[in-house]
Amino acid sequence: MDVFVQLILNGILLGSMYAIISVGLTLIFGIVRVVNFAHGEFLMVGMYAVYLLAANLGFHPYVSAVPIVILLFAMGALVQRFIIQPLLGADEHIQIFAMVGLSTALVNLALLIFGADLYSVNTPSVRQSIAFGGYTLLIGQLVMFFCALALVAGLHFFMQTTPLGRAIRATAQNRNAALLMGVRVNRIYIFSFGLGAACVGLASALLMPLYPVTPTIGTYFVLTAFVVVVLGGMRSMYGAFAGAMIIGIVDSLSGYYIAPDLKEVVYFAIFILILIFKPTGLFGLGRGTE
Amino acid sequence: MKLFAKVALATTLALSAAPALAQETVKIGALYPFSGGLALLGDESFRGLELAVEERNAKGGLNGKPIQMIRGDAVDPNQAVGEARRLTSVDKVNAIFGTYSSSLAIAATQVAELAGVPYFELGAISDPITERGFQYTFRTNPTSKDFANRMVDAISDAVAPALGVDPKSLKVGIIHEDSLYGQTVAGFQQKRAQEKGLNLVETLPYSAKSVDLTPVILRLKSAGVDVVLQTSYQNDTVLFFRQMKDQGFKPKAVIGAGGGYSLRDTVQAVGPENMEGALNVDFTQYRTNPAAAPGIDAFEKKYQAKYGTPPRSGHSLANYMGANVFLDAMASAKDLSADAIREAVMKVDVPEGTTPTGWGAKFNEQGQNTRVSPFLMQWQGGELVTVFPEKAAVAKLKTGVGAN
Repeated sequence: MDVFVQLILNGILLGSMYAIISVGLTLIFGIVRVVNFAHGEFLMVGMYAVYLLAANLGFHPYVSAVPIVILLFAMGALVQRFIIQPLLGADEHIQIFAMVGLSTALVNLALLIFGADLYSVNTPSVRQSIAFGGYTLLIGQLVMFFCALALVAGLHFFMQTTPLGRAIRATAQNRNAALLMGVRVNRIYIFSFGLGAACVGLASALLMPLYPVTPTIGTYFVLTAFVVVVLGGMRSMYGAFAGAMIIGIVDSLSGYYIAPDLKEVVYFAIFILILIFKPTGLFGLGRGTE
Repeated sequence: MKLFAKVALATTLALSAAPALAQETVKIGALYPFSGGLALLGDESFRGLELAVEERNAKGGLNGKPIQMIRGDAVDPNQAVGEARRLTSVDKVNAIFGTYSSSLAIAATQVAELAGVPYFELGAISDPITERGFQYTFRTNPTSKDFANRMVDAISDAVAPALGVDPKSLKVGIIHEDSLYGQTVAGFQQKRAQEKGLNLVETLPYSAKSVDLTPVILRLKSAGVDVVLQTSYQNDTVLFFRQMKDQGFKPKAVIGAGGGYSLRDTVQAVGPENMEGALNVDFTQYRTNPAAAPGIDAFEKKYQAKYGTPPRSGHSLANYMGANVFLDAMASAKDLSADAIREAVMKVDVPEGTTPTGWGAKFNEQGQNTRVSPFLMQWQGGELVTVFPEKAAVAKLKTGVGAN
């Protein structure tokens, strides 16, 4: 029983990590309708930036969250403006090629600059574990959990109450109708892509104390993030959050009760079942909206 | 026209035969990954060969003939094949030395075998390289089986005595990343543990790209594992040590199979105090007692003098040792034909504890060196020091892992 509770706790915390990454992916997919194959590499860039700020200026990773979120926002906006925008009229798979190309380029750029060595930031305070009732949690994981909650709540508030949020929702629902209503759709796209990338910026600041960064670190997280996004219904932020929690818990439980090397099998099996029985995802808006 | 063709043919033949007659140097190929992702340790490996060759040339070469090294850059298996072809057919080398990476070695040795050129492997550890019945492939360094056996043997020969307990009373857990590397080593470990009658309670594969090893650690913890054997890369090593601490799992010993365990970056990322006491089996490193590895200190000095830095890993030393063994064999061969070299290699008989790596040399029919067993090392105070066998040790084995 003890182990079970520990595994569930662990799964929730793991889930919140996936949630922050997946929410960004969902935003970009849901609004701009581009599958961001370079999402993991954005994370990698963010983590190197956190490392550089910590190593050169002594910034605590959580402090760097502010500049990194701005940096990643800018990076996302630039990618949208200069890579995706010119391809908006083109076939969807051209956009995919562009993003995959960008991802490969970023990985190799990191290899060129930093080499294959791993870099880490030493923050013992974040890695402190707190024990209660025989269960252990890391402070860093707890912070991640609350940040994930705050992020989803904040985005919800933003989308529902601000004019910009309304314009974004309108664009996501119907691009042409939004255009007719005077929404500057291309600007909305740039902003939304930036927002999605900014979520990754937040994720990188939160992840850096827990994981060392290497050029391929993105691939560790992003495959799972794709599963989460599909599970959550592609365009639903809340779906992504719930999907992340489910995957986190499944990951944790199956790693223990089945076998650590089979946990991917378990959640990909769930993934396939969902695609078969509910192709629009758990929280999808119905057929045709994906 | 016919006459012209004949003359032309004769001239070509004469021309192509001429360099062979005029050959005054011994040509050897140096096939390593000099660029690409494997370049760092590929180059480090090459430096060992380079030092061995320069040393010999300074002493007058191989039986009076200077040795000429021709580099081949093997970035990936395809290019390894291409470069091996070039070395054997265009440059017509007498032998090829290489390769550091197992996948490169497997590809390149096939070319050399077909061309009938001896291939001396000094650093790749995959077992099948010398299990394919090749005539002209020889290897000095230990294989993954030797690594696995040393790790398992360390439990009964080193860890149990240090704890003062019966080895059979220790619960052993094997964890490994689930690619070919981890699978192979873990397979040999399981077999050896069975032979030795050890109490193996868990064998847990995991993906090296795992972002959470807590389930693995909790499994080990609930099984009450005393000794963990881990075969891993770098990220998963870091994650394992960090999360082991988070979960308060305190085994009596953790033994790694080189890979992520040997790298200073790993220790830096984990924190030296958290990796204190981690055991490791790998190629001979520099904190080894020269009594068991005569010449290791001289090599280190020579390396420093030539390259201006201390050796970056044990790869250069392993290549240096292997190159010397094979160059000696070539020197004693009656000529430099492949068969004469094979005959000479089969006669090699170097006892253990007489080379800079501490390994001996005696080759089986398959060309594998049978007198190699890697040393057991331990992270102590941020340094990787040899702790077993006793003769090679520079420090005493400590039990426990991390700051507990």
